[in-house]
Amino acid sequence: MTFSRRQILKVGALGGSLSLGNFLRLNAAEGQSDSGRSAILVFLGGGPSHQDTFDMKPDAPSEYRGQFSPISTSVPGIQICEHLPKLAQRAHQYSIVRGISHSLADHGLGTRYVMTGNLPTPVVQYPMYGSVVSKEFSGRPDLPSFVSIDRPVEGPGYLGSEYGPMSTGEKPRYGQPFRVRGITLDGNLSVDQFRERHQLRSDIDTAFDGYEDLDPSVRGLDRFNERAYKIISSPRARQAFDLTGEDQRELDRFGAHEFGQSALLTTRLIEAGVRFVTVLMEGWDTHQDNFNTLGRELLPRLDQSLSALFDRLDSRGLLETTSVLVTGEFGRTPKVNGNAGRDHWSRAMCSLLAGASVQTGQVVGATDKHAARPVDAGYSPDDLAATFFQSIGIDPKTEYQADVGRPITLVRNGNCIPGLLG
Amino acid sequence: MSVRSQVKRRLSRYFVNERSERSRVRVESLAAAEELSFDYWRRCFHVMNSKLSLAGLVYLVLFCAPFASLIGAAETIAPANERFAVAEVAETPDFQRHVVPLLGRLGCNSRSCHGSFQGRGGMQLSLFGYDFRLDHDSLTAAGQSEPGRRTNSNDASKSLILRKPLNQVEHEGGQRFEVGSWEHHLMQRWIEAGAQQKAKPRELSHLDVAPREIVFQADSGSVSIQVVAVWEDGTRENVTPLCRFRTNNDSIATVDQDGQIRSTGAGDTHVIAFYDNGMVAVPILRPRLSVDASPDLGAASTLGGVGSLPGEATSAEETSRGIDNFVLAKLQKLQVDPSPICSDTEFLRRVSIDLTGTLPTPGEVTAFLADDSAAKRTHKVDELLRRPAYAAWWANKLCDFTGCNPNQQAELGQETSVQWYMWVYQRLIENMPYDQMVRRIVLAQGRMGEQTYEEYAEQTSAYFRDQVPADFSRRETMPHYWTRRSMQEPEQAAQAFAQNFLGIRMQCAQCHKHPFAPWTQKDYQEFARFFAPVKFGVAPDAELEYRSLAKQVGLNVRKPAGEAIRNETLRQARKGRTIPWRELYIKPREKPETISLLRAGQITLAEHADPREPIMEWMIDPENPYFARAIVNRIWAGYFHVGIVHPTDDLTPANPPSHPDLLTWLSDQFIARGYDMKWLHREIVLSDSYQRSWKPNETNREDRRNFSRAIPRRIPAEVVYDMIKQSLVATDKLGEVRADLTRRAIGHLSMRLAGTHAMRVFGKPDRVVNCDCERVNEPTLLQSLYLQNDPLVEQQLESSGWLQEIAEKKGQYNAAEKQSLVREAWRRPVNRPPNAIEIARALEYLDKGDSMTVGMRDLLWSLMNTKEFILLK
Repeated sequence: MTFSRRQILKVGALGGSLSLGNFLRLNAAEGQSDSGRSAILVFLGGGPSHQDTFDMKPDAPSEYRGQFSPISTSVPGIQICEHLPKLAQRAHQYSIVRGISHSLADHGLGTRYVMTGNLPTPVVQYPMYGSVVSKEFSGRPDLPSFVSIDRPVEGPGYLGSEYGPMSTGEKPRYGQPFRVRGITLDGNLSVDQFRERHQLRSDIDTAFDGYEDLDPSVRGLDRFNERAYKIISSPRARQAFDLTGEDQRELDRFGAHEFGQSALLTTRLIEAGVRFVTVLMEGWDTHQDNFNTLGRELLPRLDQSLSALFDRLDSRGLLETTSVLVTGEFGRTPKVNGNAGRDHWSRAMCSLLAGASVQTGQVVGATDKHAARPVDAGYSPDDLAATFFQSIGIDPKTEYQADVGRPITLVRNGNCIPGLLG
Repeated sequence: MSVRSQVKRRLSRYFVNERSERSRVRVESLAAAEELSFDYWRRCFHVMNSKLSLAGLVYLVLFCAPFASLIGAAETIAPANERFAVAEVAETPDFQRHVVPLLGRLGCNSRSCHGSFQGRGGMQLSLFGYDFRLDHDSLTAAGQSEPGRRTNSNDASKSLILRKPLNQVEHEGGQRFEVGSWEHHLMQRWIEAGAQQKAKPRELSHLDVAPREIVFQADSGSVSIQVVAVWEDGTRENVTPLCRFRTNNDSIATVDQDGQIRSTGAGDTHVIAFYDNGMVAVPILRPRLSVDASPDLGAASTLGGVGSLPGEATSAEETSRGIDNFVLAKLQKLQVDPSPICSDTEFLRRVSIDLTGTLPTPGEVTAFLADDSAAKRTHKVDELLRRPAYAAWWANKLCDFTGCNPNQQAELGQETSVQWYMWVYQRLIENMPYDQMVRRIVLAQGRMGEQTYEEYAEQTSAYFRDQVPADFSRRETMPHYWTRRSMQEPEQAAQAFAQNFLGIRMQCAQCHKHPFAPWTQKDYQEFARFFAPVKFGVAPDAELEYRSLAKQVGLNVRKPAGEAIRNETLRQARKGRTIPWRELYIKPREKPETISLLRAGQITLAEHADPREPIMEWMIDPENPYFARAIVNRIWAGYFHVGIVHPTDDLTPANPPSHPDLLTWLSDQFIARGYDMKWLHREIVLSDSYQRSWKPNETNREDRRNFSRAIPRRIPAEVVYDMIKQSLVATDKLGEVRADLTRRAIGHLSMRLAGTHAMRVFGKPDRVVNCDCERVNEPTLLQSLYLQNDPLVEQQLESSGWLQEIAEKKGQYNAAEKQSLVREAWRRPVNRPPNAIEIARALEYLDKGDSMTVGMRDLLWSLMNTKEFILLK
């Protein structure tokens, strides 16, 4: 969004206190800009084992390499875990970033770092990816622009709560109806009844009549009330969140489990015009029984659902405009522990990037023979964030005016990972 | 006076002797001038060190000798642009006084150029220039992007620091000055003379500025300001061409790099001049209707001064002329008329929410409107101040200001944060003076008085035992402020402390000279040293006792600093056993040390001294420019949409108060009345300024910083949560739902609800960053979705006690009964009687629907989704 000097002056003339941020927000509420860009974050909460998935070390001693074997993929020279056969067939649809490294092996701090691309500090709360995307690309007036399935992973930080996610609160379950907090009407109220309520409200909401444009709080509230009403009452949001319209084969293709249905919901939301969707898959914190947990449960599900997600986005032409980032908060210890598990390890991890301007079908970066550290300097979460933002056309050096009294650079210390973007 | 002398005596223990003479004189002069004077304002920033006097002088000098004599004084050195106008000058420019400020003015050391942390084009300068060594090294080093030295004393003209800004070689920043300009001469002379830097930086005393205030009458014309730097050694130099200038609002005034100010619109703001580590603010005003600009409208509406329409009340019954005098004086200057006093219904809702975080009951609304006594607003305020809900709501706010957060506690996050909240709540119930309350937080240690470690452990365990637990809120001191994990690093503790109790932001100075405050990195690092000995763990004198207790309860101690208490150990305390608690203690230092306290003087700490004591003494010195102001300003901001200084935690000379005299007077009175918080609340809410209507008149539509009308505010998260319950509760529970603080979001549930969906949506702060901005009070889309359709709200409507009463009534409702229900519906969420149109619309809706219950449910839903429900007007 760009504003002429004149528009900005006009904002100033409104009394000085309507900040540019508010002004943009009001415009966003009106849905004035629609770039058609969007992004998906698949967050593998708990810290997935990098060396058991996309950064395997088949030549390492068994206490390091673990129990899985690599398989070849659709891209010559790239190998990934045997429990990811479908993703192996689709290796040309994404790129693997190996050798991402940081020092925060704590779930909370690690997540905060990786989700914001800025080292956590008590001074500033940085916004997570989705908040930035929904600030830069406002969505449709009758849809939320940022949805998190099921709970938020990090918040809007200094951008303000307007850019926080609309959380679904729960994941869709296979074969069961799905409802989202606040967005869809529950069974007790029909759209017509809701409309009548809304009409009554409009009729008695007269206290500020004649002064609607006087103060930002009044003006903003009017806009948000109206948009909320549109979201709740229009069919678009309801349909986007409703999986019952999907073909049974499609439901099955994504997988008869919560993550599969969530991935399907994710693609529906992007198709409907939501700008950013976070989909959470947890259980990767495998201190014990790492190989059974991954091999029997997590990897087959990830393989099935993520492949289906890529296929569907691709078949609808949406991979052109949609970035997909698949990541956890850190990797896991190179050496298998006494409980057949692996513990927290932030010195090395890996992520997948796909869609938008990502040059797919390659591996970028590398770790040492035990997958313990990057060879060379490796990449930081800041670099990953810079690359991700750049991939959908957001300059990682964008500056925001935050309440902390100084402009803040979106990703201060990160640079785009060379060779990854077209 | 006696309090002040005591303070002074205590303080003198800490401050190095040279200061005592000056301090004594100032205390006496205060005694002479009993009431408010502008000298006091000056003194406030003058503190114990004249370096802080900058901002104060602006206001002071208005009332003192004509400034012309200051500028014209014989000893003032002429500006650099005159002295270096020609190339052949004998004078050698000084690195700190001339070269670095010139680089600042030219933008060389800004964030987007060489001040960037990575430097630019291979050269790095310190951001905003206060690291003289780095800057000097950098300027005299070999060039990186071009061959040759940056400074070449043999042939100055070959120096890169001339050729680059002259654009004689490739320079990304382009040409910064012209050949033959004074800037060129100044830099060249400095290089020719050997590019020297003085070993010891000079100390700037303050900046003088003329004129001290500018009142524009129209767009036309411009005014230049002149800035004189006064150094500690008495040297005076006109530094106008070496300053950086900034306007705080360019829709009111702009300033160019030479200090030329132009008016761009009506209203008021400040232009700030920066030089060395000093800054000075010049108030810029332009009355709304100046005679030149609008000759036709001027006379009639503004010459009457602060007027109002006939028949409207202009003043609340018992006015606090103190506050209003200051506010009205400024409005008169701006030729803005204040809005009239708000209606009784607006007042009752506004003051109930602001003072107690609670909606008035329908009965209260009726009674208040029916009351025709002249002093009813005063009576209501006094009654509200006596309610426990006042203490609950403001304890919540004080917990915001001090960072009480379950996730950052050292152990037992939920329990300790509730203890913290309850402790503050109890102090507010007692109306303990603010300074004493803070003292008991700031100076807290685990053990109290002469307690042994065993006694401490026993007492702390007793707070948790199931049978007759001891009451933590009766503890004399409250140590949880310090024991948080976020306070372990001295630098982080320093930042938090400065923000929490002084309303200042030190964080910029962690990495570079603070751009808008006098703080340098050194100031910050020195301040942080105070906090290094504040430790939470096992005190050296109690190791044996701690370990023996740990053994008794089977706690495996692996870390030297002891172990956090977790649920399994706590279970033993619940049964009545004493368990091994870590404690807050002061680690003795090896030898006495002398530390500088935020430019207020040097403090020498003996081996066993608690370093927090001199900070506390300094804070409660009546001359402290921050301590009382910070809380007065924050409390004020609880009643208006902004503070007198805004943002409220940014008390710097570059962020001047909108009403300096008002802030000084209120803080001064607050101190004089023994830091009585209830006095302050009462003084504010009984003022006309607080009681203004939100409706604008033709003169004050665009005024948002001068309190000429109320600005609608989004009601805070906890209050909204409680309001929904209060609106829907059964008739016989109307009182209880408000009074039972154990079930209130503004009350004892405050900690437990932190982080829940509703609190997040409405912006309750997590209290994890040191910023008053963490509480969000703007409307958002999610809030609208929440109120319109959240399952929690739907469920609250479904289970509404009042709707159940309506459903349970036998027989049909007759017309009168229906109307009475409708009237009650308005009094519950929006606290006013409905007007005739509203009644008719509601009755129409009720008659159309299938049942009264459903109709009334929809009516309540509608009322809770109006703007007047969620906005305080």
